Amino acid sequence: MLLALAQWLAQDVRFFSVFNYITLRTVFAAMTALGISFLVGPKMIRKLTTYKIGQSVRSDGPQTHLVKAGTPTMGGALILISIAITTLLWGDLRNQYVWVALLATLGFGVIGWVDDYRKVVHRNPKGLSAKAKMFWQSIIALAIGFYLWSSASLPAHTELIVPFLKFLVFPLPAVLFITLTYFVIVGSSNAVNLTDGLDGLAIMPTVLVSGALALFAYVAGNAVFSKYLGIPYIPGAGELAVFCGAISGAGLAFLWFNAYPAEVFMGDVGALALGAAIGTVAVIVRQELVLLIMGGVFVVEAVSVMIQVASYKLTGKRVFRMAPLHHHYELKGWKETQVVVRFWIITILLVLLGLATLKLR
Amino acid sequence: MNMDKQTKKRGTQALGETHVSAANVMVTPNAQVRFWIITILLVLLGLATLKLR
Repeated sequence: MLLALAQWLAQDVRFFSVFNYITLRTVFAAMTALGISFLVGPKMIRKLTTYKIGQSVRSDGPQTHLVKAGTPTMGGALILISIAITTLLWGDLRNQYVWVALLATLGFGVIGWVDDYRKVVHRNPKGLSAKAKMFWQSIIALAIGFYLWSSASLPAHTELIVPFLKFLVFPLPAVLFITLTYFVIVGSSNAVNLTDGLDGLAIMPTVLVSGALALFAYVAGNAVFSKYLGIPYIPGAGELAVFCGAISGAGLAFLWFNAYPAEVFMGDVGALALGAAIGTVAVIVRQELVLLIMGGVFVVEAVSVMIQVASYKLTGKRVFRMAPLHHHYELKGWKETQVVVRFWIITILLVLLGLATLKLR
Repeated sequence: MNMDKQTKKRGTQALGETHVSAANVMVTPNAQVRFWIITILLVLLGLATLKLR
């Protein structure tokens, strides 16, 4: 909205044309999302506490987590509100990718919200059933896949890019493209949700990955840079940098309240939505495999659950002391803050590796 | 800024802003992470000077 206003004002006052720059709007988007979260955060936490919207803690989880019971949850709504307002303010609302990313985020947020609401307010420990959750996630992810396929105007829009290998590009037929989109978005969403088990563990990697994706989106949307770096040129994808900036800003502000000992948890409403957001951006800018590298912590957390379940069902034995992986390290004697900061450090390294794929190919 | 010598009173509960925060309300890891966040923002502000001039 502000872009349209600035463009209108720029007809008379040339200074306002500075808002056409994506880089500037990305910085402003991050700052706006940060500001909104800082302003609204304390009030929201007070409201959640007043209405007793507190987290219930698994009795079979690590014993050290029992003190977390009652900590306000559904704080992810704060992140989503900040991202939505900021994107609507600073994004180019004529850009289809902005709407796809925003609607995917809010759609997954609604699924998480219903799940949280049933668990916390209705005191239904099952929340939304796994089948119902997967059904609605699938509907949204398939709709995104179908839309992106039908709106693709260049072959580059639907090719699978292999990191580090410049000439290894796989043109995807419709079925494979939509299937890949489905797995990236749903997988990323659920992986972030599984990672969200310790204070600050999920949000910082999300901030880092979305910051890196902002750079990928900017480069992919710029004809000169994309040609120079040998990545597919996706006209309009640069605008997703503004969206990613909003995620980073809102996420960093949320971390302020979510750092150990957390004053608020994001809940499924935040985790499912943020995972879907980074998955959707990765699909649009054709960097699914790079997301797999940068979001390595999310991947390993999800894979640890799969291995644990498969191993227990097949052999009756557990591979890890507890799944997801962060609980395994807690039970090995690492303190919660050690696990969290070490996983952050790993994510920093993986994000740098992901960024290196821009040049090393 | 501790005013011990002039007023015989402490301006802050402990020296070093981190100790003030810890002594007030914040548990140490909380204070640490919040100081990291402030540093990240300041670094970004510093980097922004590359473009904003």
